[in-house]
Amino acid sequence: MTTAVFWVLALLAAASGFMVFRFNSMARVTISLMVSFLASGGLLVLLGLGYLGVVVILMMVMEMVIMAVFMIAYMMNPAGLMPMAMFHNKRGSLAIAVVTFALLAAGIFLTPWPHRSGAPPRDATRQLGTALMGSQMLTMITLGFTLLATMVGAVVLATQRGRYDRFGDDLKRRPPSDPVRGGVGR
Amino acid sequence: MDLTGALLRAGAARPHVLTVTAPGATVVRLAAEDQLRRRGWPAAMTPAGADILLVAGEAAGLLAEAVEAAWQAMPAPRARAVAARPDEVAAALEAARARLGDRAVQQASAADTASRGDQGQRAPEGHEGGDHGHEHGVGDHGHEMSDEHGHGASGGHGGHGHGHGEHGHGMGGMDMPGGLPMADRGDDRDGLRLDQLHLPLGPVLPDWPAGLVLRVTLQGDVIQHAEPEILGGGSGSFWDEPWRRAADGERVTTAEAARRAAAAYLDSLGRFLAVAGWDAVAAAARRLRDEALAGAPSGPLRRDARRLARRVARSRVLAWLTGGLGVLTAAEAATAGVAGPAVRAAGDVTARYRRWCADLEAAVAVLDDASLLGPGGPGPPRGPAGDDGAPSAGLVAMLPRLLAGAELAGARLIIASLDPDLDQLPAGVEAAHGH
Amino acid sequence: MVTSAPLWSVLVVPVILAGFAAIAVLADALLAVRAAGRPARLAAAGPVAETARLLVGQRRVTLASDALLWRLGVLTVPAAGMLAALVIPFGTVTASRMSVGVVWFNAMEVLTWAALWMAGWGANAALSLVGGYRYVAQGLAYELPLMLALISAATGAQSLNVADIVAAQSHLWFAVWMPAAFLVYLAGVYGFSFLGPFAYPAGTDLASGVLAEVSGVDRLVIEAGRWLLLAAGAGMAVPLFLGGGTGPLLPPWAWSAIKTLAVLAVLTWARRRLPVLRADRYAELAWVVLIPLSVVQALVPALVDLTR
Repeated sequence: MTTAVFWVLALLAAASGFMVFRFNSMARVTISLMVSFLASGGLLVLLGLGYLGVVVILMMVMEMVIMAVFMIAYMMNPAGLMPMAMFHNKRGSLAIAVVTFALLAAGIFLTPWPHRSGAPPRDATRQLGTALMGSQMLTMITLGFTLLATMVGAVVLATQRGRYDRFGDDLKRRPPSDPVRGGVGR
Repeated sequence: MDLTGALLRAGAARPHVLTVTAPGATVVRLAAEDQLRRRGWPAAMTPAGADILLVAGEAAGLLAEAVEAAWQAMPAPRARAVAARPDEVAAALEAARARLGDRAVQQASAADTASRGDQGQRAPEGHEGGDHGHEHGVGDHGHEMSDEHGHGASGGHGGHGHGHGEHGHGMGGMDMPGGLPMADRGDDRDGLRLDQLHLPLGPVLPDWPAGLVLRVTLQGDVIQHAEPEILGGGSGSFWDEPWRRAADGERVTTAEAARRAAAAYLDSLGRFLAVAGWDAVAAAARRLRDEALAGAPSGPLRRDARRLARRVARSRVLAWLTGGLGVLTAAEAATAGVAGPAVRAAGDVTARYRRWCADLEAAVAVLDDASLLGPGGPGPPRGPAGDDGAPSAGLVAMLPRLLAGAELAGARLIIASLDPDLDQLPAGVEAAHGH
Repeated sequence: MVTSAPLWSVLVVPVILAGFAAIAVLADALLAVRAAGRPARLAAAGPVAETARLLVGQRRVTLASDALLWRLGVLTVPAAGMLAALVIPFGTVTASRMSVGVVWFNAMEVLTWAALWMAGWGANAALSLVGGYRYVAQGLAYELPLMLALISAATGAQSLNVADIVAAQSHLWFAVWMPAAFLVYLAGVYGFSFLGPFAYPAGTDLASGVLAEVSGVDRLVIEAGRWLLLAAGAGMAVPLFLGGGTGPLLPPWAWSAIKTLAVLAVLTWARRRLPVLRADRYAELAWVVLIPLSVVQALVPALVDLTR
């Protein structure tokens, strides 16, 4: 039963990932990538990592929807009404992809994986949480601050209007002059 | 057992009605809304959600083509009703409902639509829609593109297509469905270059001034440019009737004028609240309006109107949602020839609807005053009507400036807070472009 | 105390959920009929006639629509509600006793983001598209406070398992000492079912937005989906904040049903009290006020757990 589910999810993930490069419509591309991620989340659940699998599903749906918004905004042919190719150098890229896949598959099948010693933890989520908050705390702090700084920096770099446009030359104008008023009036 | 027939009859018990109001047919629209409320039939918002298409008044010219486009877009089962006068509304609705529940009639109508085939094709105002000014220059693609003049139906509804996507007689060698060109791009307020969508808002749009078509250029949902188009004026507004009669020398009491003014304010408030998404209070306002026009006793009417006016005026949530939109200073309004509440309530949308609430309370205060209508009494709801269509013509003329840079929701609120009545414009002013 | 039901219960969950949704629809119809001044006995006729009308209606076909995404989006709305309801315990029985039930519920309601974006996009109509994007904007606003509210409930029980959360409320309901989380959760329920003050994607100013071009069975599916999501949200509020099936005298399943109906009644009644909150105003409020409030609220059970 588990094997059957594994094969279904694996084939779905691979097929929808492949379709990302075959669809003409950016919207369909994003949705098929989302399906691929959902299948990968399902595979994680099969591995016994329930929390990680469901979190992957949760996060990937949100992220793919936001990516869809940007794909539609920035790409020229969002609805796929004109045929277009998502990649250049078809033969070369296909060759590289096939070779890479073959190498990875060979590596997976030929590696002498160690045998499991001991049993999986009773509560994998708790073990994950303890690791994140304990031995990996430094990683979490660094990642957290880096992500926050990146997001803030990206928004600041992207907006055309700065503090002086909003608050006036003396930074004293309240409420700020915005084209669309926000809800709290900051 | 005939399941389809049974479902058809059951569904016809509560049809959704899409009302198209022709210029000069305000009183028919009011009768239609009253009838729908009494029967509990919901008002449809798009042709896709409608069963009955009710044309209030006589639709001519561009509006008739819009009605036809809306009819084409309605899915089966459907029925059509026309009412030129208020007393015809009930009978027209009943007849339409009977046709709606009749399986034989619906099957015949469906067969008729299918046999006309590609002629039912309509091009959409979708995200592939290019500038309407260029499309019909491309020539006939073997199916009707006549309504591609863009006034077709509610903005943004797609075509009732029989086989979409294969009519690739595109222009310039590109195989685009429906022969639509790619959207052109333009600068937007945030410094990006985004696709522009040319969308006509109206004339078949819920809670929209009758006879107004607003051609907007959208980037995202931000209006870059708006151009109003007027589908014909009327012979004077229904709401101004007591003052017109008084000016003609008839004997009009203050009570009568106050009642009409109160109903006008309630109508405007109902429309505004519906656009703002407060359906419960909008329905209450419209119910009060119908009661006022039907001659309900003034005591309960005054009490209910006051309660409604206070509830709307004091709503902090509504004020928070509408603050800062569509700011109109008194000087600007005066130069545009606008008088009445829009001037007295110099400011944003919040100030204007609060002005309506205050005026409503003032109007219901004199509901029992049997003296002759004088200059001290309630004034016409939109201000003194002039000869050249003031003040509604001025309100429409101000729209391009007010709406530039507004998001769609804000634009709808601004228009609803101004609520121009195109019946005030002189008749035969069709397709005039307000600047 | 909450046990897992056999596998066939997965088929019973949609039926029970649909039952609660139908009750909510009838209650809403009753309120509408009373507000319009018509006799209350006509209330049930409305939803029945509406269902019949939509079943027999023709499905709308638009030019150059993305039919695959359109139908998929419309179908995912009720599917998300039904999947989310799999972890809701009814009394002492739940269809799935997974150890990460809270995260599963969150993930399934997030599916509505994709569903409504696709439903708005697929129709190839301007107002429908704007409605779909409005849902994404609204989602960005309500989602993070909702996640933090769910985290508050999970922190209070030190577990992501819904059964443990029910067990941790044996002394005091979470709604009592985590009221901000409860209110934020209820706002989130309105958000993902786009009803009431969060009906912005289907607003009147957009001629019903995402619903503008759907007709026939599609319309029935998506409208049913809204109410199913509301029922699922109300159902989940009971084990998360209102103590689950615990209570004197009556059996647990009765208490679950009563509490779910109470939450549904409040949600259906309050739906008409507020105008639609537009995302361009609400987003700033959600990020600047509600998120810090929710974070502080999540600290409360954490501190309580630490000092215990």
